[in-house]
Amino acid sequence: MSTAPAAADKKAPANEFNPFESMAQLFNTAADHLGLDHGLREVLRRPDREMTVAIPIVMDDGRIEVFTGYRVQHNFSRGPCKGGIRYAPDVNLDEVRALAAWMTWKCAVVDVPFGGGKGGVICDPRKLSKNELERITRRYTAAILDILGPDRDVPAPDMNTNEQTMAWIMDTYSMHVRKTTTAVVTGKPIALGGSRGRTEATGRGVLFTTREACKNLGIAPKDARVVVQGSGNVGGIGAMLLQREGYTIISISDQYGAIMNEKGLDMPAVLAHVKATGKLQGYPGAEAIEGGKKQLEIPCEVLVPAATENQITTENAARINAKLIVEGANGPCTAAGSKMLDDRGIMVVPDILANAGGVTVSYFEWVQDRMGYFWTEERVNTSLEQVMVKSFEDVSAVAQKYKVSMRIAAYILSIDRVATVYRMRGVFA
Amino acid sequence: MIGTSDISALDYDDPAPISHAVEDENPFGTMMASFDEAADRLGLDPDIYAILRKPDREIQVSMPVQMDDGVMAVLDGFRVQHNAGLGPYFGPLRIQAGLRMDELRAVAGWMTWKCAVLDVPFGGAAGGIRMASSRYSRGEVERAVRRYVAALLSDIGPERDIFSSDVATDEGVMAWVMDTVSMHARHTENAAVTGKPLALGGTHGHADSVAQGLRAVLREALEVVGLPQRGVRIVIQGAGMRGGNLASLLVLDGHKIVGLSDVHGALYDERGLDIRSLLGWRAEHGSLRGAVGSFERITNEEMLVRPCDVLIPCAVAGTVHLRIARALHAKLIIEGAHGSISSRADRVLFDRGVHVVPDILATGGGAVVNYFEWVQNRAGYAWTPETVQKRLLRFMTNAWVEVHKLRLEHKVSLRMAAHMLAVQRVSQADGLRGIYA
Repeated sequence: MSTAPAAADKKAPANEFNPFESMAQLFNTAADHLGLDHGLREVLRRPDREMTVAIPIVMDDGRIEVFTGYRVQHNFSRGPCKGGIRYAPDVNLDEVRALAAWMTWKCAVVDVPFGGGKGGVICDPRKLSKNELERITRRYTAAILDILGPDRDVPAPDMNTNEQTMAWIMDTYSMHVRKTTTAVVTGKPIALGGSRGRTEATGRGVLFTTREACKNLGIAPKDARVVVQGSGNVGGIGAMLLQREGYTIISISDQYGAIMNEKGLDMPAVLAHVKATGKLQGYPGAEAIEGGKKQLEIPCEVLVPAATENQITTENAARINAKLIVEGANGPCTAAGSKMLDDRGIMVVPDILANAGGVTVSYFEWVQDRMGYFWTEERVNTSLEQVMVKSFEDVSAVAQKYKVSMRIAAYILSIDRVATVYRMRGVFA
Repeated sequence: MIGTSDISALDYDDPAPISHAVEDENPFGTMMASFDEAADRLGLDPDIYAILRKPDREIQVSMPVQMDDGVMAVLDGFRVQHNAGLGPYFGPLRIQAGLRMDELRAVAGWMTWKCAVLDVPFGGAAGGIRMASSRYSRGEVERAVRRYVAALLSDIGPERDIFSSDVATDEGVMAWVMDTVSMHARHTENAAVTGKPLALGGTHGHADSVAQGLRAVLREALEVVGLPQRGVRIVIQGAGMRGGNLASLLVLDGHKIVGLSDVHGALYDERGLDIRSLLGWRAEHGSLRGAVGSFERITNEEMLVRPCDVLIPCAVAGTVHLRIARALHAKLIIEGAHGSISSRADRVLFDRGVHVVPDILATGGGAVVNYFEWVQNRAGYAWTPETVQKRLLRFMTNAWVEVHKLRLEHKVSLRMAAHMLAVQRVSQADGLRGIYA
């Protein structure tokens, strides 16, 4: 949002391949439907707070190097900010801002009581030792400590950060505030207050949204051929869970290529093969086919792009041969590509709904940490199912009311939720 | 209890001061010895383990307290915080004459391991006031407790260090602690202590928490030993909160309590004792002395070696010593009190093939229900008695399953397996958090 110029003309031709511009366009469309006034649009376009910090670190060889870190808190009207921290050489404030806004909408769609946040450090983790990474993490945490906390801002893992990074943040924060504070981050190891079922959460969310969408479209699981792009935590686990529910996974891909079996892949065996060899290639129970965008054109009932952004564009949207697309990844369909899918009557479950299982279980982790009592995996999964099903129904209802696509409906719903809270709280002065 | 008697000497249910159980000058070192062995067997990184060889923090405070006659007494207060890897510190608050720092160190370390075995997200602590509560008025004890809490205020609290009730600290004392912390914090802070009265945020199931935990591990252990789930002959040493409650529960489960004792002596009847009437007598008269029935009256020591299938010592430490270990008949011993079995006796029992469920696992029900109290206080929502029982059972069973898994995997005793599980969990947390600097 904040990447868009304040007076952006929504009809101006945007760069199709900039997902943040796509999001800005969607924001404007949804705000128009809601008749949102100018003042609130301005409020929601801008992050509530941005922080840039210098991170001086003594490197292993004794040199001091100064890194730059950011934390952007887009909107905290609905609760503390929630969002990942990424470490990458190309981290920049514009990207962090856009991702923070994205988190605000995602949290609002699934109605978890968080606003959006995002952070990052400009660094190349491949060139840093584990000790240097630990010092960067701790210094970054200390530098933004005043705006962090279970009731202020709760980070999570993102690109190049993991459970260990979260454990360091938790420890640094706890040492500073002089008390154990597990709820300051999510995505922690289970031994330190993490939640059961978190690794599978996004894949499981994909399962629930796919199931609900199929019900709406009248597709029975046994008649549903599913093509999945990506075989990691989202695609791989999502495919396995879908198969368990009776769907037929006919193709799945990774960065090296794709495999296909019209009769259905045996997902546990496929994932075991990936675990053992590092790739899908060579899996004996299927034929190797071309991966990349070509795979997306396979005739099927359900297509789950769960790899990366900009996969379905104006260039290939006409050749997509599915009845339903469930966006496991962030921004796999461009706005223009998505429009073509709408016109063709293909239902798209948008990313901010379809892959929100992860942030939902992050929320559960925060809840468990606050009470200090930890749920069984079944309890986590049941609660996740309730949230995902309810969110899907909420978005469907908005889509019907405004006669718009699920994607625009998801934005209308989330913007309306944030705006409503903002109006109720009023402007503090 | 305060002001009536020094219960530590009289009541079987009080955890014995560790120094009774070991001859060594340094109780902490002795306690750690078995964990050193566990760390060895696990092949643990010595750097990480080195952290666990010392308590994180030890605090000693001097406490001026006004006596009823106007004289100022200066008392000593202590708190040892052993390890915060898994969460806030948690451990007993004692009021005891002759309280010693090294004894508290051992208890604090012990609490770290116990919480880890039970998967309770706390680290261990222990502390108290050195005073013979029986020689002071209730008002004097109250002033001492409040002064002690005020002196430690910056180091305690729901996310820092949680006090649990213990020797001579009943729920009335815990209420004073809660009140003092709350007044200073300027808001209700009932999660700062456990063992509170129900009206002030205490939990259901606190009184028989240890007994319920013992019952849960007994069920699991009977399965492994190959004894039936009903009709087993059981001897219980101790007839108070632990032993007495346990005896009642086991009778309900259809077992036969053939021996029961208190500090004054033991009763034995191989056809099974009438537990209900005996405990009724004890509640009325304060001891089992003078109770009537068809049982034999014998000494505590004799009872331990009488025929039975399961022996559950719930009394002071060291009651099962070498001689008794050689003579006893039980196939299974559940250690119902801390250090019931001396270390030499433990080796004899292992060689004889007698199964021993170690204290650190068996008596964990207390820590688990204290933890539940803290959880309910934080949530501001009290659980029903059924919820407490159901969840306690789950925690005990899970701990048992994990310990038993390690036992089979490493071909060690249950005791060693429990120690290994504890060391594994605590060092994993310390390793993940890293060294803060």
